[in-house]
Amino acid sequence: MRIIVILGRVLDPAGITINQRAGRIFVNREEYVIQPADRCALEVALRIKDATAAEVVVLPRGPLPDDDILRQALAIGADRAVYFTRERFKADEAVMVRLLEAAIDRLGGADLVLTGATTLDSGQGQLGPRMAAALDWPQILDAWQAEVVDGAVQAVRQDGTGYVTVEAALPAVVTVVPGAVKPRYPDGVRLVNIYKNVGEIAAALERWEVTDLVGVDMLVPLVERRGQDFPPPRERGVRLSGAPDEVAVAAAQALQKRMNG
Amino acid sequence: MEFALNEEQRMFQNMFRDFAAKDIAPHAEEIDHEETMPASILSKAANQGFLGATLPEEVFGAALDGVSYALMIEEVARACVSLSVVTAAHVSMVAMSILEAGSDAQKAEWLEAMSAGEVIGAFALTEPDAGSDAQSLQTRAVVDGDEVVLGGVKTWVTNGGIAGLFLVFARGAEGIDAYLVPQDTPGLTVGYREPTLGLRSASFNTVYLEGCRVPLTNRLGQAGGGWDIARRAQDRMAVALAAAGLGVATDAIAVASKYATERIQFDVAIAHKQAIQEFVANAYIETEALRYLVYRAAWLSDQGQSVSVEASTVKAFAARVARNVTNMMVQVMGGYGFMEDYPMARKYRDARSLGIIGGPTEVHQLRVAQKIFADLDVEIKL
Amino acid sequence: MDFTLSPEHQALRRMIREVVQNEVAPLAAEIDRHHIVPIETMRKIGATGLLGVCFPQKYGGMGAGEMGYCILMEEVNKVCTSTGTNVGAHIGIGAMAIYLDGNEEQKRKYLTPLARGEKFAAFGLTESGAGSDAAAIRTRAVREGDSWILDGGKVFITNGGYADTITILAVTDPTLGARGGITAFIAETDWKGFKVAREEDKMGIRGTSTAELVFEELRVPHENVLGKVGEGFIIFMKSLDMGRLTLGAACIGGSEMAVDSAVRWAKTRQQYGEELAHKQSVQWKIANMATELEALRSLVYRTAWLVDTGQPFSQLAAMCKLYGSEVASRAIDMALQIHGGLGFTRDFPLERGFRDARIGEIYEGTSEVQKIVIANNIFREHGVRVRP
Ligand SMILES: Cc1cc2nc3c(=O)[nH]c(=O)nc-3n(C[C@H](O)[C@H](O)[C@H](O)COP(=O)(O)OP(=O)(O)OC[C@H]3O[C@@H](n4cnc5c(N)ncnc54)[C@H](O)[C@@H]3O)c2cc1C
Ligand SMILES: Cc1cc2nc3c(=O)[nH]c(=O)nc-3n(C[C@H](O)[C@H](O)[C@H](O)COP(=O)(O)OP(=O)(O)OC[C@H]3O[C@@H](n4cnc5c(N)ncnc54)[C@H](O)[C@@H]3O)c2cc1C
Repeated sequence: MRIIVILGRVLDPAGITINQRAGRIFVNREEYVIQPADRCALEVALRIKDATAAEVVVLPRGPLPDDDILRQALAIGADRAVYFTRERFKADEAVMVRLLEAAIDRLGGADLVLTGATTLDSGQGQLGPRMAAALDWPQILDAWQAEVVDGAVQAVRQDGTGYVTVEAALPAVVTVVPGAVKPRYPDGVRLVNIYKNVGEIAAALERWEVTDLVGVDMLVPLVERRGQDFPPPRERGVRLSGAPDEVAVAAAQALQKRMNG
Repeated sequence: MEFALNEEQRMFQNMFRDFAAKDIAPHAEEIDHEETMPASILSKAANQGFLGATLPEEVFGAALDGVSYALMIEEVARACVSLSVVTAAHVSMVAMSILEAGSDAQKAEWLEAMSAGEVIGAFALTEPDAGSDAQSLQTRAVVDGDEVVLGGVKTWVTNGGIAGLFLVFARGAEGIDAYLVPQDTPGLTVGYREPTLGLRSASFNTVYLEGCRVPLTNRLGQAGGGWDIARRAQDRMAVALAAAGLGVATDAIAVASKYATERIQFDVAIAHKQAIQEFVANAYIETEALRYLVYRAAWLSDQGQSVSVEASTVKAFAARVARNVTNMMVQVMGGYGFMEDYPMARKYRDARSLGIIGGPTEVHQLRVAQKIFADLDVEIKL
Repeated sequence: MDFTLSPEHQALRRMIREVVQNEVAPLAAEIDRHHIVPIETMRKIGATGLLGVCFPQKYGGMGAGEMGYCILMEEVNKVCTSTGTNVGAHIGIGAMAIYLDGNEEQKRKYLTPLARGEKFAAFGLTESGAGSDAAAIRTRAVREGDSWILDGGKVFITNGGYADTITILAVTDPTLGARGGITAFIAETDWKGFKVAREEDKMGIRGTSTAELVFEELRVPHENVLGKVGEGFIIFMKSLDMGRLTLGAACIGGSEMAVDSAVRWAKTRQQYGEELAHKQSVQWKIANMATELEALRSLVYRTAWLVDTGQPFSQLAAMCKLYGSEVASRAIDMALQIHGGLGFTRDFPLERGFRDARIGEIYEGTSEVQKIVIANNIFREHGVRVRP
């Protein structure tokens, strides 16, 4: 069985300070980590691998300036990773889906595609459903858990009041919510070797030319990024003071006024 | 110039030393470990007259002069810094404020009981947002007929857990006022106890004042006169804390140098090593410099002089000396200095408090600078 | 000259940060307060391979070199000096002696499970009468057929209360002294005759085990002699050289914690109508701390590089420990001061940091011993052998 995990990178939130007042993000330490939801997807894949001996292949969810997060994924336990090379190719999710579809094809197909349900920075969640549509496979979105049982994937989803288990026949696409599982740490030896490019693991990172997979005419994104901004500031509350009963009355009046106007 | 202690002061010194060695030192480790200040120790201190040290005889005080009082704090601190701080807060900050600024009725009501240790005093000035800058305190005092209603939060109140009387500073119509608030007054709640690095047998609490009513006659001094009372109390406390620093440094040297004569490494007592000699000598030099700053500040206050600058000078210096000396003496004891069943670790932890309690060193330094530049007609803002 | 960290070390730091944030940070205050040795945490760290960070992969290690180990110590100590000390005693002196001087069989049998974090190590040198003067040890080892019988005891042994494997220095020939008369042994702590007599109650690093050990007819097979009979003293000193370097790295972590928290507090706390950050008194402290921190970092990394490239480093290692422990103590003292009263409470990590930092100038050779080493080396270059 082959499991594809699609993952992307994000600035390590521990290394940045968001200063709303100054309207700026201060990067104290520029370091990228795997998108948290994607990291969970990888963990789900590795657990399936532990249970059923699958091959886990990692593909990027967007253009990457370097292969760092793919190495991270290999250190954590993925068997193979593919880095798409091409000078500054631009891609939105629509473009990526074509590319990924071609890559899966070149890999010789897959049984399961796992990816994060959403990204931490841009909050996008289209990739999973788009992949399912393009591949024409069933999909399960926002899973908390997934396992492979008798040729089908069973996943646990939140359903308003509780959790339900749903099932889809393989091949299928499953997206995993951030925080769903506690991802494992990288393995020390794998980590050192993949970053030093030594040992067996060095061969696990492959580099594929984008244009070998799709035509240049396909590399035209539909979405263009024009800039970024903070959400509008939240209206400030008022601080009430005085004896408890006075405060209670004032609070009730304020709420009433708000609801009326 | 006369640098010797007089007959009486020497006698007191011996008495304090004996008492501290016999009745306090044996308990110091245990009460630090248990983080309590047992009533039995306080009552022994009271019986010795420590809790009314500088109060006059009419109220059963010991009527010590300033130098003798400094000697007392020093000797107590040699045995147990926590107890010296508990005592100093009680005597220097609260009892002496009442003696200086109180009405006859207030003195009659409180001072005897304070001398006897029946009532322990606590000084409630600092607030969460008013530490170094205590003058910006926000606790309110609102006059209501012949009562005043206090509202606010005080932090770091030394003796909070054992006090019967709180001297509370609050903002009234004419500035900062000082109020005597008995511990059982409704609306006064003693809250969170700070878990501290050192001084662990003393308690430092947050005190909540919510609709806390006391008679107007509980105001100490004039309306708006509170800041002056607080400053004078802080000056007295600064000298007392410096004496505590002197005590802990003196004892640390005594303990570690004795250890150095007994500890054999490389076939000789480590006392024979110049590294150890340097530690001990430097510690001694700093401590002796501190000693005369402390006694001088105490002596000046006995002459009825304002000691504000001297108090800041000696407090800032004492914090540094106590910190340095205990640090060096831990080093002299090597691994044993780091063990809690030897006294040095506790002294080291306790000594570190002096850089903060009674106002951080930086603020005292700024006060000294203020004075230097004030003499040159330049006003320095903190 | 190239001062950038290699990609594998950058990746390693990121991994360590994650492990430390998840496994170490949440317990740091707790283990100190309740005097708990976080053995479970040690196991979790071990499971990632980090307890073998600097050892070769063929012995179950990661193969990230001394630099990798320095990064580990830096990151762990930034968050918890107790855990850092447990890790340091395990890798830096406990397992290190076996790595440096063990034979192939000893490395396979003892180093490998230590590097994998399946077992824990301690380093048994100090005795009640032999601290700085390590050659004054009295623990005796007497040959009896294929074994050695050890009698005596050790004090202040980090990890002593729970280690599985311990290296022990003992006198094998009292007539010879440090040169020729002292031998290093590897012992297993479940052997008969090995006893943990007591645990010390310490001012700081309270989440560590500092044990007094007693050996009563502890029988150690001859094959467990580390190195050659009579060469134990040198072997132990070599491990201490390594330990000193990484203690310097640990102090980078402590100092970083101090700078970070001081800056964070100074930019939020207001007194006299403005943030403390605007006061020069505070700025100066932070500037000093940061400068010393950078100087220390350069010294430590350079020394680690010397180790990894096989050059002599012992002089610089002593400097790392001497300077590092002072820098960390000063930085934490200043950070505590900047916190005012709050620095003095256990509710802020500086109180713990202050108590913990004090050990730096004492263990693995006091500052004075480092100065003896440093001065010795300098005078030796000038043809003088100085007496300690
Ligand atoms: C053990 C202990 C006992 C105490 N007991 C009492 C008590 O009984 N009653 C009571 O009222 N209070 C008490 N205090 C409170 C003590 O007086 C305050 O902690 C102290 O004044 C410092 O205030 P803070 O803690 O808010 O620190 P902050 O004022 O926030 O100061 C933090 C740091 O900033 C520095 N700083 C502040 N202002 C300046 C400036 N203008 N320029 C340069 N640096 C500056 C300080 O030096 C300090 O290093 C006690 C404190 C301790 C630790
Ligand atoms: C928490 C802790 C953990 C420890 N862990 C371990 C461990 O895992 N394994 C282990 O083997 N040991 C361990 N030790 C022991 C530690 O290495 C010793 O405490 C240290 O070497 C100092 O020895 P000492 O305590 O006997 O001090 P001493 O040697 O008695 O030193 C006392 C003082 O004399 C000074 N001094 C001594 N000789 C000289 C000299 N010739 N010239 C100038 N000054 C001198 C010292 O610098 C020190 O200031 C630990 C200690 C502690 C406190």
